[in-house]
Amino acid sequence: MNKNKEQLLNKRYKAEQRFRLYGLSAIFMALLFLTIFIFKIFSTGYSAFQKTWLIVPVTFDAELMMLDQNPSKEDLQDADYYDIALKSMADLDPNANEDQENELKRMVSYFFEKEIKNELLNDPNLIGKTKEVYLTASDDLDQVFKGNYPRDLPEDQRRVSDYQLKIFDQLVANGKVESKFNISFFTNADSREAELAGIASSFMGSIFSILVCLMIAFPVAVLAAIYLEEFAPKNRFTDFIEVNINNLAAVPSIVFGLLGLGVLLAIFQLPRSTPLVGGITLSLMTLPTIIIAARASLKAVPPSIREAALAMGASRMQTTMHHTVPLSMPGTLSGTIIGLAQALGETAPLILIGMVAFVNTIPGSPMDPAASLPVQIYIWAESAERGFVEKVSACIMVLLGFLIIMNLFAQIIRHKFEKKWS
Amino acid sequence: MIKIKAKDVDVFYGKKQALFNISLDIEENQVTALIGPSGCGKSTFLRCLNRMNDVIDICSVKGEILINDFNINDKSCDVVRLREKIGMVFQKPNPFPKTLYENVSYGPTIHGMAQSKQEMDEIVETSLKKAALWEEVKDRLHEPGTGLSGGQQQRLCIARAISVRPEVILMDEPCSALDPIATAQIEELIDELKKEHTIIIVTHSMAQAARVSQNTGFFHLGQLIEHGSTDKIFKNPDNKKTQDYITGRFG
Repeated sequence: MNKNKEQLLNKRYKAEQRFRLYGLSAIFMALLFLTIFIFKIFSTGYSAFQKTWLIVPVTFDAELMMLDQNPSKEDLQDADYYDIALKSMADLDPNANEDQENELKRMVSYFFEKEIKNELLNDPNLIGKTKEVYLTASDDLDQVFKGNYPRDLPEDQRRVSDYQLKIFDQLVANGKVESKFNISFFTNADSREAELAGIASSFMGSIFSILVCLMIAFPVAVLAAIYLEEFAPKNRFTDFIEVNINNLAAVPSIVFGLLGLGVLLAIFQLPRSTPLVGGITLSLMTLPTIIIAARASLKAVPPSIREAALAMGASRMQTTMHHTVPLSMPGTLSGTIIGLAQALGETAPLILIGMVAFVNTIPGSPMDPAASLPVQIYIWAESAERGFVEKVSACIMVLLGFLIIMNLFAQIIRHKFEKKWS
Repeated sequence: MIKIKAKDVDVFYGKKQALFNISLDIEENQVTALIGPSGCGKSTFLRCLNRMNDVIDICSVKGEILINDFNINDKSCDVVRLREKIGMVFQKPNPFPKTLYENVSYGPTIHGMAQSKQEMDEIVETSLKKAALWEEVKDRLHEPGTGLSGGQQQRLCIARAISVRPEVILMDEPCSALDPIATAQIEELIDELKKEHTIIIVTHSMAQAARVSQNTGFFHLGQLIEHGSTDKIFKNPDNKKTQDYITGRFG
């Protein structure tokens, strides 16, 4: 009998040990996946924060620019920079034939004449002189310099020619290629040219969408939650509403996108591809999340506080506004932020309402067309150029950073301001 | 003088009847204790007196409760005005998670009883003094009320209740969560408060009822078995059930 008991006890200990082991291995697996994921993103994406520049001597020849003596500011604006830009690239190889000159031109970004123009606008005294100007390298050479380019492929399978590589290697050997922090990744809108593409448009688009979403979803959800929790009678109808709110939270987001497309764009004729429509669509999605969070935190306020206020002669409205709602706010706010973070990462509904369009301007208001960060990731991931690969990862890094900050904020609100009930 | 007159009060929770035909007179400026075993309906009856049962959806009250000869179950009765006149102290201390000052000034604020900051300061001070809490907390009026000890919290709740100068104070087992010393302080306070207020106290402790009250009502299974002066109920009850409960044979 005694021995039997001991066996039983041993068995229980063993079972507990096994269970711990399962738990630990589950956590280990989760951490492993997370590490692999983050490592992959960072190792691919970090190079996008660097940009390669070619340092090319440019002669600001007044004649080639069609400038008179003592040109005014407007003259400088209207001057023709294409010829000197072309010439300075061609001068990299004095023996180049016409085809090779064309190849030389393609070693820098599409907008290289603009960079030369800005140089002169900054310092008009350069006319007639020669100066070494930083020109954005083409996306392929950028990748070559970062070591991401398969140079050993046969030439006809590469976009960079042997001739371009030869000149580029010469430039590198002479120290005429430099890598600097990629500011334009943060200040430029999207572009077809990978070396010029940036996240400014999609970042602003995301911010505007989230703001619109917050301004619609928060008040509506909080009012709905307060009404349902504090004022509505408990009957079959309110039960029905509650079930449906919970169902709404489980509806796939693309369905909301279809709703936005069918109602906001088709019936209300709101402007396509704008954060306004995106934000309204996302707010439909965020609404149930916030309602559920707000109701949970209203429920967590002890009934004794409501009784205390009511017994003091506060009306129901005063009880709610003076006591219950302020006490539930930390929970509601952190739920809201988490809902917004969800909305921030949402892609499918935004694609349906047209925020997937190519936008090369930075939106100034929610009424301007824009992309959003997750959609930008989608657009770039679809692009063929090698230069976009690192941009995808870099954009994911920005989005993740944004989400982590928001969730951190939600945690801080929850821990700092939530009242503890003994 | 009779302050509150309950006539044939029935209370239902849904279909279940919780109180049967309660008729009870409550004397002004005296302490009336309601005693009885758990679930006998004494708290339910107490909550009828300031209509706190309104909060519970399924609860319905029938019958007349006259306070100053005015039926509070009448449709024309405004609960906000009623609860201004009838304060309540609960079983578990429930100060608002705000400062001591805000706790006490809340009632006067929502009822517009103070014209200036000075007046409000005065109300807060006198209320805390009457609740015998002033000396202990006068230096930390702007600290949270939830930081006090249990007994202090309960006295804060009493200060909050008397801040609006109610005519009646309802106490629902105010000492059940407190230690004997804090209980003694509250009982002393009740004795003091009855000079200005009519007090009705629900209690589980018969000793407490005997100590603080002048009148006692004994509830059992939703019925008021017997009521009268505390002396009589404890020394010479008419009803056999009362006798059994008082002497500890059940409950």
